[in-house]
Amino acid sequence: MTTRSPQPKRDIGGMATACVFIVLSCIALWDTTTMMDSDSYVFPRAIAIALIVFSLLLILYNLIRPGERAPVTAGGESTPRRVMLVAVMLLSCFAMPWLGFLLCGMVSFGLLMMVSMYEPWTTKRRLIYPVVAVAVVAGFYTLFSTFLMVPLPVGFLFE
Amino acid sequence: MRVKIDTRFLIGLISAFLLSVASFVHADDYPTKPVSYVIPFGPGGESDITARHQQPYFKKLYGQDLVISYKPGGGGAVGWAQLNKMKGDGYNIMGINLPHIIIQPNQKDVGFKTEDITGVFMFHYTPDAIVVNNDSEFQTLAEMVAYAKENPGKLTFSGSGKGTANHLAQLRFDKMAGIKTTYVAFKGTGKAVAALLGDQVRAEWGYTSVGAQHAENVRMLAVAMEERHPKFPDVPTFKELGYDLVSGAYRGIAVPQSTPEPIRRQLSEMIGEINADPEFRARMENDGMALLDVDYDGYTEFIEKMSAIYLEAAREANIIQ
Amino acid sequence: MPGFEYLVAALTLWHIFLALSGVIAGTVIGSLPGLTATMAVAVLVPITFSMAPSSALILMGAIYTGAIYGGAYAAILLNTPGTPSAIATTFDGFPMARRGEGDLAISIACLASVTGGFVGAAFLLMLSPPLAKVALAFGPVEYFWLAVFGLTLISALSEGNLLKGLMGACFGLLLASVGIAEISADVRFTFGSQVLLGGIETVSALIGLYCIPVLIDLVATPDKHLKVTHQPRGFRFFEALAISWKAKLSLLRSSVIGTLVGILPGAGGSIAGLVAYSEARRTSSRREHFGKGEPEGILATESANNATVGGGFIPTLVLGIPGTPPDAVILGALLIQGVRTGPSLFTEGGSIVYTFIYGLFIATALMLPVGLVIGRYAYRTIITVPKAVLVPTVAFMTMIGTYAIRNSVSDIIIMIVLGVIGWILNRFGFSPSPIVLGLILGRIAEQGFVQAWTIGAATGELWKMFFGRPISLAIIVFILFSLSYPLLRARWSRRAGRT
Repeated sequence: MTTRSPQPKRDIGGMATACVFIVLSCIALWDTTTMMDSDSYVFPRAIAIALIVFSLLLILYNLIRPGERAPVTAGGESTPRRVMLVAVMLLSCFAMPWLGFLLCGMVSFGLLMMVSMYEPWTTKRRLIYPVVAVAVVAGFYTLFSTFLMVPLPVGFLFE
Repeated sequence: MRVKIDTRFLIGLISAFLLSVASFVHADDYPTKPVSYVIPFGPGGESDITARHQQPYFKKLYGQDLVISYKPGGGGAVGWAQLNKMKGDGYNIMGINLPHIIIQPNQKDVGFKTEDITGVFMFHYTPDAIVVNNDSEFQTLAEMVAYAKENPGKLTFSGSGKGTANHLAQLRFDKMAGIKTTYVAFKGTGKAVAALLGDQVRAEWGYTSVGAQHAENVRMLAVAMEERHPKFPDVPTFKELGYDLVSGAYRGIAVPQSTPEPIRRQLSEMIGEINADPEFRARMENDGMALLDVDYDGYTEFIEKMSAIYLEAAREANIIQ
Repeated sequence: MPGFEYLVAALTLWHIFLALSGVIAGTVIGSLPGLTATMAVAVLVPITFSMAPSSALILMGAIYTGAIYGGAYAAILLNTPGTPSAIATTFDGFPMARRGEGDLAISIACLASVTGGFVGAAFLLMLSPPLAKVALAFGPVEYFWLAVFGLTLISALSEGNLLKGLMGACFGLLLASVGIAEISADVRFTFGSQVLLGGIETVSALIGLYCIPVLIDLVATPDKHLKVTHQPRGFRFFEALAISWKAKLSLLRSSVIGTLVGILPGAGGSIAGLVAYSEARRTSSRREHFGKGEPEGILATESANNATVGGGFIPTLVLGIPGTPPDAVILGALLIQGVRTGPSLFTEGGSIVYTFIYGLFIATALMLPVGLVIGRYAYRTIITVPKAVLVPTVAFMTMIGTYAIRNSVSDIIIMIVLGVIGWILNRFGFSPSPIVLGLILGRIAEQGFVQAWTIGAATGELWKMFFGRPISLAIIVFILFSLSYPLLRARWSRRAGRT
């Protein structure tokens, strides 16, 4: 969605973020009260207070002088694909302890191929892409598990 | 924009995957395959180096590789919290460190309790030591204590972290000697030594390994051992000087709780055999470490004894409640 | 200058083979996001046990220097610093790649890395023992001010919206303190979650904040990832050479900065790159182009981060104190080999050290052909691979790379979540770089501050501690200068306009 309105707008997004930051800082400040060593809380406390001050300044600035710097939002894009990208990646992380890295990697690789596919699925692509998927995942898996000796999760179901 | 799930594509993907899955091999004798040795710290630290020392002897004695990997985070807590989730077949072992596994669970919920950890062998400790620069005004421990008595709080020590072996030694020694000193925590021994060499602090609560590694630039005033270290016959122990301080960073090996009893015992014996290898001993001692032989049977008693000492010191210093 | 015979000793076929394979392996490993130089070296350690100490050092040095350079590929082509050292490379590298000049950017990075590597190695060869004293002169308070100096770069990075930059940095600083505190052992901001105990791993945060937003936007449109204006035009080596020659002063200065920062234990390649970038930007006549795809920006960071290799070896070999994290691993390997580091290593153990240093020169020289060839291949792969393969491959690489840092699945989740947060914040005008600066410099600043405060309070000289030490004062002057420079500059140009 492009900002089509000709008039400059208040930076609502920035102000909302500032509010979130203020809430976060307050939670952080509250958490510092549970720390016992002054070495641990001095610095985070100072930072949290600074963050609150900066956030308030941003809100104030926007209220006094609106329309200065509305951020440009790029537009015309596919949000469902974005959501699916993140969802596939997160889901494969959650499934990883059960299914293992290899299987999760291959399934998510295939799903992400579909998410990012803008061209038609020709027969040639149907044949080649799965091979590519398996080759890439298996290649990286071997590189990491054999040569770099990274203990990748095998998955409870296969133990 | 709609994304079409293509079934034929999916079938292709799955069948290609099935072709590539390797099967498992099972066997009875232990060890028949490489043993994974997880160090809950990053590479390059002392826990890593001692594990690397063990590595070749494991291979020599048992014909299998000891594969070291790292799981750093939270001062080791991240690794220990996951120890019992690992497969208990004898092929997963993890390094453990004292006082970490005693202090951490008593501070906050770190995902494991001291008694959750099944140690099979404690194989060495790096004794605490007071280290000063070669040109330091302090020639003996007595001089240092006298200075600290006259200038409470002014004597600064660098050391690795808080709630660590260095820190607890400082707390205990201050109490024994009736002095007050300032402990400045650094991230890791390397940075604590750098602070000492750069005269940022007056002395360091370090280890005998620091004395061995930086022999050209530093000397030790006393070591926290029962008897003098073979590599440093001229450095007195705290005991000789009248302070009952024997401590350091203790290291051992633990297994997941699900590991069967026979394998636990076998592992304990195996680590003990490595510890008995004269070449291994010489190498470790040359690096300034001290060997220790606490096997599977003695582990629980050892932890209880150390817990009592550490927890008391930590409580008095307000590190734990 | 130490003996020529060591150069001959270094020039055996075996050593050249080690240097070559080390550089190749390092470059490939470094280019994968998540695989850092530290890991690359750690993997090698068991292999080096059976080698002579100088051969082992050559191999580890070669893989280290290759990995630092390899980090530039992912930074330029994917906006993801392959290693933390390459953070500042993304600032100009990715914009260049976007407008179709990725090949040129990679060749420039290669030239800069080789130059930086040579300068660092030259300092290591000639000035090691005296320079090691610099490492010791830097106390906690100096680290604190150095971190603050790094943070001043925010004003440059947050184009026109300083407040948002500062907010981002504070957010990053708070993120840095999540988990068990590194020196004070308190548990902070975990809210009972065990996942957060280990804190937010810097490299995985980098991958999340820089790479995930790129992926998110990549799937959203059918457009190509990078603009391809022409057919690939070879290495564009002479073009890169001409650009480097024009900026030779900046290149040299960045290399020296890199060496000096590399000497400081606890600073490292990321800070070297940031400081060099900030200085290059301040002094350049093309400063307004920085951040929009200015080759000089790449020259500055890439020369500085490769110079840290030689610089970092100085305290490692002279003092036995690792200058950078990979040096810690190398030091460990040397210990196991029975080699004692210290000033005497340079006199009595000269054959080990000087053979190694010449080996490092050889490895750095080999990096030129290796880097250009692998770089060209990487560029062509990225521009020719169809989107439906590129996206899953990059996504998979970020996941496996993030996992490998601490062998932890939760780190992948943290990485993705941070990526989404970064994407959203970016839409509201908060760029990721200030957050990353806060995250990286936060720990150094906090530790330096707490230590300096403790020592100052103990000795009763708190003010003198923070404002009375010569190196601190010098850094403070630099901080003030770089903060006020834009204002001063505006005034000067106004005055110049009037006359």
